[in-house]
Amino acid sequence: MAENKHYPELRKRLTPGWWTANRHYAMYMVREWTSLFVALYSLIFIYGLSLWATGSRADFLNFLKNPAVIGFSLVALVFTMYHAATWFYLLGAVAPVKIGRSKTKPWQALILNLILLVIVSYLAIWLVVLR
Amino acid sequence: MSQEIATIRVTRYRPEKDSQPFFQEYKVPYRHDMVVLDALNYIKAELDGSLTYRWSCRMGVCGSCGANIDGEPKLTCASFLHEFKDRTITVEPMSHFPVIKDLVVDMEDFMEKLVKIKPWIIRKKDSLVEEGEYRQSSKELDRYQQFSSCINCMLCYAACPIYGLNEKFLGPAATALAYRYIEDSRDQGKDIRFPIVHEIEGVWECTLVGECSVVCPKGVDPMLAIQRTKILGATNAIKSILMPRGGR
Ligand code: SF4
Ligand code: FES
Repeated sequence: MAENKHYPELRKRLTPGWWTANRHYAMYMVREWTSLFVALYSLIFIYGLSLWATGSRADFLNFLKNPAVIGFSLVALVFTMYHAATWFYLLGAVAPVKIGRSKTKPWQALILNLILLVIVSYLAIWLVVLR
Repeated sequence: MSQEIATIRVTRYRPEKDSQPFFQEYKVPYRHDMVVLDALNYIKAELDGSLTYRWSCRMGVCGSCGANIDGEPKLTCASFLHEFKDRTITVEPMSHFPVIKDLVVDMEDFMEKLVKIKPWIIRKKDSLVEEGEYRQSSKELDRYQQFSSCINCMLCYAACPIYGLNEKFLGPAATALAYRYIEDSRDQGKDIRFPIVHEIEGVWECTLVGECSVVCPKGVDPMLAIQRTKILGATNAIKSILMPRGGR
């Protein structure tokens, strides 16, 4: 298209509000934003652990009992679960398992992974706290 | 019975005359079996011969008639007027591509990407014709067939925000085509194609928005192809670290 080169280039580029254009884009953005809570929670948890490392277990537990920390943890839990669920679903979409002639569906991967998550979490809690 | 009317708002842009694009509205006699492309053809034949757009097969095969219809990338020949509310439809050129005129976009970048991934069967050594054809079982065909039905309509690029940010991104259709050859049992070009799809602007740019697969009119699922290519690349890298010699 050499003969067009001297005209100003017209091109519809991405605008900051691009993700509001449809539901899929918006859901993608929600998925990405929820990861922010995962990161924030990790920071808070690392701070709590540092209290334990430098001080005592009681400091750590008191920190965790702070209503603000409990409130944020609950919110973060909801968002983290949502974030995890989106990736479990995508995992099922990208890497379905062949069983006989049929392939597993994404929602099956979602449910299986959520069950595994609960089991692994319980084992971790049992190992660290309950035992 | 009075004739029903559909209103088509089309982007006009004539770079030799207009510094900015604008919308022009046309009233078209409506029929239930009409697609957007029929409406454009009516406009060109009866109302305004200067309207410019691409089309050829008008049956979802040639891939030349893509446009943003009410904001969504679609084939104009596969979008029925009756699917749209109020029979008022906005037709714009596909996003992210340079516009040459009206609805016609520059395909150069996409064409270069298609060639770049070497869309043909690569053999280490071609066998002689007398040796017969390269055989393939239906199971082997299954592994890539879906990814070979791309019609190069570029709708997936118009839907991809990553491509909108960075046009160097190899993008959905080109990766799907690369994956189609990577998974073809007759092909031996992995070592040549892998570095191409895994370079900086290759598959790892993709952040899994997934809209490419939503808009694809052929069920190619480029999103799947890109993620599978990532998995193959990662396992290959691990293998070559664990087994530097003959790990592939
Ligand atoms: S992958 Fe689908 S949307 Fe993309 S160019 Fe091919 S047919 Fe069109
Ligand atoms: S005109 Fe060929 S795909 Fe629409």
